[in-house]
Order: sequence, then C-alpha cells, then structure tokens
Amino acid sequence: MTAGHTMSGRPTAVSDCILRVENLSISFGRGRSKNQAVQKLTYRLAAGETLAIVGESGSGKSVSSMALLGLLPAGQALVESGEAWFEGRDLLAMSEAEITHLRGDRIAMIFQEPMTSLNPVLTIGRQLTEGLVVHKGMSQREAEARAIEMIELVRLSDAASRLRQYPHELSGGMRQRIMIAMAMASDPAILIADEPTTALDVTVQAQILDLMRDLKRDFDTSIILITHDMGVVAEMADRVVVMHRGRKVEDGPVERIFVAPAEDYTKSLLAAVPRLGRAAGPPAVTSDIEPADDGSVLVRARDLSKRFRSGGWFSRDEGVLAMDEIGFDLAPGETLALVGESGSGKSTTGRAILRLIEVDEGEILIGNRDVRKLGQASLRGARRTMQMIFQDPFASLNPRMSAGRLVMEPMVIHGVASGSELEDRTVELLRRVGLEADHMRRFPHEFSGGQRQRICIARALGPGPKLIVADEPTSALDVSVQAQVLDLLLELQQSLGLAFLFISHDMAVVEEVSHRVAVMHQGRIVEMGPRQAVLNNPRHSYTRTLLAAVPMPDPTRRRGALPTLDVAAMPRGPLAEVAPNHWVAA
Amino acid sequence: MIRYIIQRVLAALVTIWITTIAVTLLIHAVPGDPVRIMYAKFQSTPEQIEAVRIALGLDQPIYIQYGLYVSRLFQGDLGRSIVGDQPVLDILLTRFPPTLLLATTSLVIAVVIGLSLGFLAAYKRGTVIDVGAMVLAVLGVSIPHFWLGLLLLFFFALQLGWLPVAGSDLRSLILPALTLGLANAAVLARLTRSAMIDIFDQDFVRTARAKGLPKTMVLYRHALRAGLVPIVSMMGLQFAYMMGGAIVVENVFAWNGVGRLAIEAVFARDYPLIQGFILFFATVIVLVSLVIDLLYAVLDPRIRYS
Amino acid sequence: MASIAPTTIAENVHGELAGFWLRLVKSPTGLIGLLIVLTLIATALFAVWIAPFDPLQMGAGPRLQPPSAQYWFGTDDFGRDLFSRVVYGARLTLQIGVIAVGISLTSGLLLGLVAGYAGGWTERVLMRLVDVLFSFTEIVIALACLAILGIGLTNAMIAIGIASIPFYARVTHSVVLVEKGKPYFEAGIAAGAGHVRMIFLHLLPNVVPTLIVVGTLGISTAVLAAAGLSFLGLGAQPPEPEWGFMLSSSRDLISRAPWMMIFPGSAIAITVLGFNLLGDGIREVLDPRQVMR
Repeated sequence: MTAGHTMSGRPTAVSDCILRVENLSISFGRGRSKNQAVQKLTYRLAAGETLAIVGESGSGKSVSSMALLGLLPAGQALVESGEAWFEGRDLLAMSEAEITHLRGDRIAMIFQEPMTSLNPVLTIGRQLTEGLVVHKGMSQREAEARAIEMIELVRLSDAASRLRQYPHELSGGMRQRIMIAMAMASDPAILIADEPTTALDVTVQAQILDLMRDLKRDFDTSIILITHDMGVVAEMADRVVVMHRGRKVEDGPVERIFVAPAEDYTKSLLAAVPRLGRAAGPPAVTSDIEPADDGSVLVRARDLSKRFRSGGWFSRDEGVLAMDEIGFDLAPGETLALVGESGSGKSTTGRAILRLIEVDEGEILIGNRDVRKLGQASLRGARRTMQMIFQDPFASLNPRMSAGRLVMEPMVIHGVASGSELEDRTVELLRRVGLEADHMRRFPHEFSGGQRQRICIARALGPGPKLIVADEPTSALDVSVQAQVLDLLLELQQSLGLAFLFISHDMAVVEEVSHRVAVMHQGRIVEMGPRQAVLNNPRHSYTRTLLAAVPMPDPTRRRGALPTLDVAAMPRGPLAEVAPNHWVAA
Repeated sequence: MIRYIIQRVLAALVTIWITTIAVTLLIHAVPGDPVRIMYAKFQSTPEQIEAVRIALGLDQPIYIQYGLYVSRLFQGDLGRSIVGDQPVLDILLTRFPPTLLLATTSLVIAVVIGLSLGFLAAYKRGTVIDVGAMVLAVLGVSIPHFWLGLLLLFFFALQLGWLPVAGSDLRSLILPALTLGLANAAVLARLTRSAMIDIFDQDFVRTARAKGLPKTMVLYRHALRAGLVPIVSMMGLQFAYMMGGAIVVENVFAWNGVGRLAIEAVFARDYPLIQGFILFFATVIVLVSLVIDLLYAVLDPRIRYS
Repeated sequence: MASIAPTTIAENVHGELAGFWLRLVKSPTGLIGLLIVLTLIATALFAVWIAPFDPLQMGAGPRLQPPSAQYWFGTDDFGRDLFSRVVYGARLTLQIGVIAVGISLTSGLLLGLVAGYAGGWTERVLMRLVDVLFSFTEIVIALACLAILGIGLTNAMIAIGIASIPFYARVTHSVVLVEKGKPYFEAGIAAGAGHVRMIFLHLLPNVVPTLIVVGTLGISTAVLAAAGLSFLGLGAQPPEPEWGFMLSSSRDLISRAPWMMIFPGSAIAITVLGFNLLGDGIREVLDPRQVMR
C-alpha cells in the first residue's frame, strides 16, 4: 500500500484511461432562474496522469468534479445527463450507498479551504482514522499506525502527538497536509484536488505542490487538479482541459496548450496571466511611468511599530508584532509595492499610513505633515489627499447606497463640489473608469466584481488624492478582469501623477505595476529597492525563496523542489544599502 | 481555558454585585414615599412609619444604605416581608426550590422534544417533514403558555380527570412542566434547526461526506457533535426564559413556587420581599448560566486547548 | 451633507419599496402573516361597526351562554357579549404591541448604536449593564417596574417596553459590530467621514432591516407579555376587554363555560401567529443573499 513502482507519467493509450466523462450536463434552479453550470463536458483521465481542469469563476470546473462523487447539494443541482465511467461502472448512475463506498477509498477529494475543511471538535487522529476503519475494516490501532505513517509522509513533525491535536492548533498549510494525508491514506486510484493551494501563501503552496507531485509518484495515483492559476497548471499538469462558462473550450497536452493554444479564449486567458519575468525585458510604455525625479518625497515613514495584543486583562500574551520598525519613502507619482505573505504586516502597514490603525511608535510624514500628530478634524481633512482601495470590492461598498452616491461621497465630505457640478464630476469619474452614466442609480449587487472595483477606484479618485493605498486590489478578481483593472490603475497613474502604495502577495502582479518593491516578512522589511534589482537580483534569502516559489506559467521551466528556508537563521536586522537604493536586511 | 473560566466567574460576580446596587436603588425609584405606600393597608401612625423608615435605613444617604444592605446580606439577612412579617430569606428558601424543579423539568422536556424536532427538520430540509415540523413550531411559539396551560388543565384535569388540578407533588408537576416545556420546545426547535442547517452547510461536513463515511456517522459524529457547541451556548438563555415562564405558569396551576409569591408581593408593594426576590432570581440565573458557560468550554476544543 | 442624507435614504426606500412588497406577498409565510395583521388592524379600527354589542354592557344577554346565533362567542359571567369584547380587545392589543415595541426599540437602538460605535470603555460598560438587565429576565424587570409604578394597563405597557430594552440593545449592538467589521465601514472612514455620517448614512441603513424583522417579531412578544401580565391581574383591570384579562376571569369557570377561555386565547394566539409569520416573511425578503432557509 505504500511506495509502489514509479511511473513516467505520460501515458497516451486510451486503454490506460481510468476515468471517462462523457456529455456531462448540470444545471441549477428551474424555469427562469435556471443556470446551466456545465454543458456536455467530455474528457478522459489516463492512469497515472495529472489532468488540470482550468477556468475562471463560473466555468463549472468545481461543479463538474463534485458531481462525480455525488457531492452536489441534492435539492439545488440537477445532473441532467452524462456518464462517468470508472472501473467499469457509471459513477453518475450509482445509488447513494454505492458511491459512498467509493468516496474516500477509490476516489478521494480535497478542497480549497483548509481552515474550515476539518471538523473543529474532533481530533486529527479521529479524522485521519475513521475513513480507514470504515473502508478498510481496520481496527482503531491499525488505523492509527497507518495515520502516523501518513503524517510522516506528508512531512509533518511529531506524528504521534499530532493524533491528539485539534485542527485549530495547526496552520493552514499544515491542515492541508493533513487533508492530503486523509485522502491518500487509502491509496485511492484518483485524487480530485479542488483549488488545493489557492488559499495558501505562495511558499506554502510550493511545498504542497511538491508534496503532491512526490506522493503521486510514490502512490501512482491519477490526479484531477482544478485550478484557476495557470502557473500551477504549468507546474503540475500532464494534460489540460480549459473550461469557460460550463463548456469545454479546449484540451490537450500541457506543452501544446501553453505554446500553441488553439482557441481564442485560451489565448486570452494565457495573455492575461501576469508572468514573472515578463518585465525583465524592455518594458511596455504603460508600465513604465517615471516618477518625479527631483528627489521630492510624498510619504516618509520611519520606525513604525505596532503590536497587536489578543488577550483580555489577564493575558500574559505578548501579542503579535505586526510592524517592526518599518520605514520607507514614496515619491510623488511612484508606485511602491509591499510584498509579503500572510502575517507579513503589509496590510497593517497600508492601514497605518492612512491612520486607519494607530501605530505604537514611529513617524508618518505625508507631504511634510506629521500625520500622527493631527487631531481628529484635521485628520479627516487630510484624508482628501490619501485614499484607499480594498481587496473585496463588494464588501467595501455600502450595499444600501447607489453607485452614484458611493462615488460622490468623498467629494461631498470634503466639499469638492456640489449640486449639478457634483453630478457632472461623478459621471465623468464613472466614465473615466470605464462605466456608464446610468450606472449611477444602480446598487452594488447589480454589478460584476470587476465593475465594483472600478466603482471603488472612481470613489477614490473623487477628492483628487495624491496617494492611493491599494490593498490587494485585484486578488479577488478573475485573471482576465484583473488585467483590465491593473491597466486602468497604470493609466490613471500616468495621467494623474498618482503615487501608489501597492500591497500584494502576487509577485507577478507586483512586477507589472511597481517602480520599487519592498519585501516584508513577519513585520520587517527584509529587502527594498528598484523593481528590476529586487526581482532579478534578489539579495535576501527570503526574497529568493519567495521568487523561486512562484509557479511559472511555462511548462518547460518547472522549478525543482523548493529549498527549505530556515526562518530563524534569516537576517532581520536593520537595512543596509548593498547597491544604489537597494537595501537588504543584515 | 483557565483564562476563560476566570473571565466568566468574574463577569458573574460583577453581575451579582450590580444587581445588589440595582435592587437597593429600586425603592428610590418609587414615586412618592415608599414606606407610606408599603404600609398603606395598615392603619399606621406617623411615628410608626418613621420607625420603619429608620429601621430600613431609608433616612440615610444612599451609599450608607447600600453598605447596610450588603453587610446584612452577608449575614443572611434580607429583611422582613411586610405581609406576614417573616424573614425574606426563609420565605425565598422555601418557595424557590419548587420553581427550580419546575424550570429544570420543563427545560429537560423542551430540550428533548425541541432538539429532536429541530434536528430532524434540518436534516430533512425542504421536505414535508421539515415544513410540518416548522408549522408546528411556529404555532407553538404563538400560543401563550398560560392559555396552553388552561387548555391542558381543561382536557386532562377537568374533562378526563387524569391529572390533578393543583397540588405540590410530582403528579401535579406534570401539567405545568408539560405546558412550559412544550411552549419552549417550539422555540428550541426553531433555533436548533437554524444552527444545524448552518452546520450542514459547513465545509467539514462536506469533507466527511467526501471521505465516504456512512450517513449516520456524518450526521452524529460530525454534524451533531459540532452543532452541540452553538446549541449549548443557547441553553443559558433558555433556562432564564424557563424561570420567567414559570412565574406565570405557576399561577395557572397554583404551583407553590416563587412565581406566585412574586405576584402577591407586587400587589402588596412588599418591597423587601421584591428586593430579595429579584436578587435571588438574578443570582440563580447567573449561576446556572455560569455552569452552562463552563460546560460550553469543555465541549469546544478551541477554548479548552488555548 | 443635508442634501445627501434624506435623498439617499428616500431614494433607497422608494426604489426598493415596491420590490419589497411584491416579494413579501409571494412568500406564503409573509402573505398569511400580512393578512392576519391587516385583519387585526381592520378589526381594531372598525370595532365600533363590527361589534354588535357594547363590550362593557353587563346583562346584554343572559349570563354564561354558550355560543349561539345571537351571541357568536357566547356570554361571560356578567352577561356581556364575548364576541364584542374580543373585537374591542383587538384595539387594546394593537396599542400595547405598538407602544411597548416603540419604547423598547427606540431606546434599545440608541443604546446599542452608541455602544457599538463608540467602542472602548463606553461599549464595555454599557453592554455589561445590558447583560445584567438581561439576566433579570424580562418578566422580572416588568414586575419590578409594576412594583414601582403600580399596576394597570398603561403601566404594564411601559413596564414591558422597559423590560425589552436590553434585548433590542443587544441585537443592535451585535449587528453594529458585524457591520463595523465590513470593509465599507473602513472605506467610509478612509474617505474622511465624520461620526454623524458614519452612524446615519452607513450604519443605520444596514441596521434597520434587522430591526424591522426583530421589531415585528417583538410585537408578538409584547402582546404575549401584556396578556400574561393581565392574566396575572397586574395589567388590564376590570372591566377592560383585554384578552389576557378575560382569560384570567375564565379560569374558575372553565368547566362551566369553556368558550370564555377558548375565544380570547385563540385571539391572542392568532394575533401572535400573524406577527410571527409576518416577521419571518420580512426576514426572508430582506436577506435574500443569506441562507435560503
């Protein structure tokens, strides 16, 4: 049951086909509200291969896979037609009892959100062993022995004591490893992985993908990998199925899809993906706006520190040091990117600059005014020059206000205009960001994600700010929409001379939009400098790891296993200048 | 977990302390002269009224009154009732246990019926069973429990003669407990259904299904066990409602608990008794809620191991 | 700013109002609830024309008569027509419900809003007080109020109103906390909005829908509470035709005249049911993006 023989993994013969899906159609709802989620989907999965099903939201990729195991909500989803042949039987024609036998035993599935996919009130041990007891008839002791083996296989330490731990004691990456252990414990023929790394930091993602590759090789499992990330596809897949709005657009071997895509949608999907290293060559005109070179500084931050304490009165909890002596300069018209993973403090820093959060110590000068010293009223006035764009475009718009009122609001607050002049300006702003005048009366829930973010941008532009803090502005958007929004931001910067503090975890996006980059890790800036310098010539070990972990959307350039980063040995001292304007933590 | 326990115990103590303050202030909220109002029925001379006022300490500044009240409290002296002139503490100690018995029995009935009904309705969401259960529940929630009591009294005691109309023994407990229990079962059914539907929608239930676990295992070991956490957290409130409902139901069935006492006290403007009653009542509820909170900590590993 | 506030709210309300009523009527719970409540209101308004007899007139008919063609609900122990009394009782019931909820909702809303928005010590102290009152339970607070004010229907209304304030304060407070955590709240602050704008334009419109639901359900709670207090003799006094009070008079006569118990009790139950269904229906309509229960 453990390490079997290795396989080269590129089978092509139809007789090696382990799963055959034919004409699968699934719909939600009835009558006028009917939504055809999947239409006549057909594909094959060969033994020992990794098939990536890639698409944006609404493509039907998740729904089609959940249907294979009968996991769709019974009342809402209807499998209208189709067959899924596995080991001589049609999965879609099975009874609930029959498919329950297969689930977790012959076909296993792991999901996107490791934080919520484990039962919080049961131990890890219980959750690992119950599948084995049910499917393999093991005794509890045998199952626990196997569970310990699996925990070690997924490269977690202290296997025996893990059994008695609860999910909340583990991090997201660790939980996902447990999910993988659970799935692989019964040596399934097929592993369906639904966006398994989307919710994880990029370095953790790299580790998990490495793990999945190794396990696949050792267990000789076939994998259906569902993802929206073309980089992950290039890293992991042997063959690719591209889906769009419920239909299969194209399928084929991974190299051909990337090098010579046949369909227009595939082409546009690939073109929209931000690619790290694309900006290494001569930059396109729009992405290279030179900031004012006169040495003037718009934002100057020095020694910012912030500690979050979680406990109540009796807590001996030291809390988390979210910002540790953060300092940087930002020139007018320049984009400084703050890059880091979760817990790096980049979001906290963005909010601190705008004084949405109060720092414990440090100095924030915006246009030569010390923002920290401003009283409430002056602070409100100062906000005119500095605005923010948030990550979740829907939640950052008051659902009870129309788009027009939302865009108007900052202008009204600061008395920029009133009456008909105000309306005219609002219309002008909406048009500027690519919307229409009659969108003014509509409410947020009537817009798409990309449109909502445009409304947020229009809102931020209203009072005529000099600085915009953009906190992961495109992370929640589909790839194709993301590209449009980024183009809009770049274009606005060029025409309005805006300075951006651009917060992101995505290196490729950062490369497209920034002039300078600051890499953050657990509250400290570990490297900072011009974009080319930091991204092409990283000097800090963490930056190197971060860059190496990014999956490249190029199947010919698969990276090897990621070297482990010793966090404790990583230099975290004060920044030293190693090259003109290029600073690295010593 | 220790931190959690300490926080809860402190919160409970603070609540009781504030209750004592509120109770002391109660008398002063009365428009007019409370002493005269209390003794309106008796033919008292102004000297007697003045004597009572001094005995109750009402001529002193408020903080001294409070100090007096608290010091007497620690000596077990809650004052004397106007009606019958007995120590309030004795009265309460005699009359509280029957109410506690009624409230607890009713809670057990409500939990057994309500939880099962709610769980079933959530599991069979959208089917006839669910709709039927919820129709029953919404009817149950709408029926005044004293009317339900009267109806049950009418059918079971008077028409059929199966159960006594009034009394203090266990047979007499059945009707009042059923009345209160059924009324609250409806409330619990709705709450349980909500909570369980939330749980059924959770990712970890989907994971359990995806592992191919049999339906009963998913239902009980995963869903129900996780659902107990929010459901138990509701129990403190439900107990408080039970105690409140007991006050009314006791009057339907002439059950000799503290509910009837309270009503009589309000009629008679028997302030010492009312003060003692409020203090006792609030303390009982705070203590029971504390126990339930601690139980909740045991059930939720996120609190137990943090 | 004066030009924005009323326009925004009015614009929202007007545009959504039509859609709101349509969706409410489409759901079965909402429809039935609405019909019952409208019937109640109509009964209360037109009581004078609906009731065949004067509800206070003793000896309108022979005493303790079972329901008949002349006395639809029968007569009570004073010979009064029960049907007329029940009809007039609708007026009292409606009054009680609306006034009690009015008192508690406005006070609770204010309390919860201030506590939730202000945060810090203000919030902690206020909510601690609310918690303390909560542990008294509503009926005890009501009893305490009646002990202070004296008994009677008006005092009972006030007592119930005061007793429910902690509940509305808590509900408001938790909604405010949820909304405060949403990015649009932070966005408002980032735009430079002051306290008044944040509370009235951002928080309040998002708090109101929940409060409408809770308030509607609260009317049924208030009606039950008032009936309960009147049943105990602490609320309505003779000869007021309040339903709870009528139930208490029926207690000793259950065997002889069960109709005295059945009709007023049914009236209470139907009224409470109506407001419950209406509240549930409104909740379904106002939270369509939330779980479809």
